[in-house]
Amino acid sequence: MRLYFLALGTLLIVCVGCAHDGQQLLETNKNRYYAPPAAALQHPGPMVGGPGPGVMQVGHQVPGPPMGAMGAAPGGAPFVCPPGTGGAVVTTSQVRFLGPEGMHVGWQIGGGFAENQLMAPGRYNFRQAATYRLKFSNIPGREGLVVYPSLHIYPTHPTTAAYLEHNALPLRVNDEDLDQVETNNFVTKVIYLPDAKYQELAIAGVEELVSTRLAPGLDPVTEADRRGTIMAVLRMGNMDLEMPGQPGQLGEVRGANGEIVQTQYADGEKGQHIAPVPVGSHEGIGRGGVPSDMMVGTSGGPGQPAYDPISGVNGVPQYGMPYVGTPIGLPGPPHIPLGRPAGLQSITLRNTTDYQVSGPVEDMLIDVRHEPGIRMPEPVKYIQYTEKHPGYQASDLSVPAWAQQ
Amino acid sequence: MLPKQTLSAMIAIIGVLFCSWAGAEDRHFLMNAQTMPTGEAARWSLMTNPQKYGYFQPVEISLPSAGHVSFYQGSPQSPVLTQAPSQAGMMVGHTYRVRISGMPEYPGVELYPTIELLDRLHPPEGEAENFPIPIELTREEIQIVLQERMVTKVVYLEQPEFAVPFEQGAQIHVEDLPVKTNLIQAADERGRPMAIVRIGGRIPDPMSPNDEFYSRSPIKISPAR
Repeated sequence: MRLYFLALGTLLIVCVGCAHDGQQLLETNKNRYYAPPAAALQHPGPMVGGPGPGVMQVGHQVPGPPMGAMGAAPGGAPFVCPPGTGGAVVTTSQVRFLGPEGMHVGWQIGGGFAENQLMAPGRYNFRQAATYRLKFSNIPGREGLVVYPSLHIYPTHPTTAAYLEHNALPLRVNDEDLDQVETNNFVTKVIYLPDAKYQELAIAGVEELVSTRLAPGLDPVTEADRRGTIMAVLRMGNMDLEMPGQPGQLGEVRGANGEIVQTQYADGEKGQHIAPVPVGSHEGIGRGGVPSDMMVGTSGGPGQPAYDPISGVNGVPQYGMPYVGTPIGLPGPPHIPLGRPAGLQSITLRNTTDYQVSGPVEDMLIDVRHEPGIRMPEPVKYIQYTEKHPGYQASDLSVPAWAQQ
Repeated sequence: MLPKQTLSAMIAIIGVLFCSWAGAEDRHFLMNAQTMPTGEAARWSLMTNPQKYGYFQPVEISLPSAGHVSFYQGSPQSPVLTQAPSQAGMMVGHTYRVRISGMPEYPGVELYPTIELLDRLHPPEGEAENFPIPIELTREEIQIVLQERMVTKVVYLEQPEFAVPFEQGAQIHVEDLPVKTNLIQAADERGRPMAIVRIGGRIPDPMSPNDEFYSRSPIKISPAR
């Protein structure tokens, strides 16, 4: 009986063992390698930016064997690593406004709008990592309708760099979107480059997710982020940003005699073209939301210039101001009597608020995981090089193809 | 005669060995033409083989019938207009942006493909100009680009043992592969990858002529042939 079970177990290993050897219970596909992300591959060597040990900087000399006559650099220049043209270079995304045809596209320029800068179909290069306020007017079939959407241009990601270098992002506002806006709905359009497993066609192309065509409760930005890499988001509602008399930067400004004063204005139909001014910038945190390599850790924040308060510069109060600052943001007591040199030397603030707040975290643990994990082959440690030469006899003659008449 | 227990153990060992053989690992390809930024594969190629640096590899660009190919010599303001098929010497490891225009089938259409040079050919001495890397833009590819999509091609030097078993006609053999396929890996399995060609619909912005759109890689324009 024992021998019977041993033979049965052996048969099981032979038949099933090839497909499941135990490791597959932990790994979905054991025989596949997974390269590091494209962002890491942009930094050959330690796969991180530098300067640092082993980091190959663009333009630096790369160690290697001496160059022969065929590989010598022109003019005897040393070998330098050519800069990649993607990722680190492209900082604009070209948006192509496809329609409705004849629609005028303008954008905010600080305290006003530059009108009629484009007419659909038209295109423009927007700087990345910024949000712009657009103005759609003269929409065919929609007399009097003016829409002020915001356009968030995402920074280049290594997976989208090649696409953005070669393609414009198609953006079409259709009748359904405008109907939704006119019926007090909010429309979000997300343009993303789907991952290969989500691409249905054989040729790479962007796809678009619209909030009004998704099931209720689904966030188009989250859904697009799950399916691929987001390149632009257009958010559109029926808010009027140029109402007469509204407070704020874009409100109507009237002069002393009641006349309307244009603080900033440009009209593309008069040949006045002004670049859009972002209403929100995301450049401070680096490319793709990741802090840049060279970061100065100061009170200015990641990616921001160091904040060194100098009296009287950049909003820092002048020396001798009658009011002093406090650590909680409230103005302190004045130096009285006024008109004399500041004499106050100490302030005591007592916070008597009842509070129940947890203590600070002393040890934090963050688990980071790639799915699938990175798996690379072992380095080469043996090479067998074999050259096969044809054998000829005395009467044979071999003529290369290029030399044959 | 072997005892029964010993026989069973031998069968088990053979089974395990067979499993190990069947699970042999595939080759690994770090680079992917579709998901890597333009220029990265060429940069890696040059860093792993610095002897290729400084070599101007002739590249010939041909269009479906006729048209113009413009090369840029360090500045977008001074394009060199040539009649297709056009030939230029491009440095291995660099990426080049060219302009395609004047195609009679597509009036008014301008395309700006990039050519990323991964490797070089080894022609006989003095014959380099007669052995350029051929880059052909077909009607099908241009149609796809005009539909707001992007085409990525990898041009490779055929390995004689795996050559396509029919005579090459006037056009180069083109194989369409699914989007999930790593084109560099597919080209490497068929021969030696030489260049990556990417074609899309983006054109330079007339309002910012100094943008990063153009390449400034060294180039040698070949005289008209």
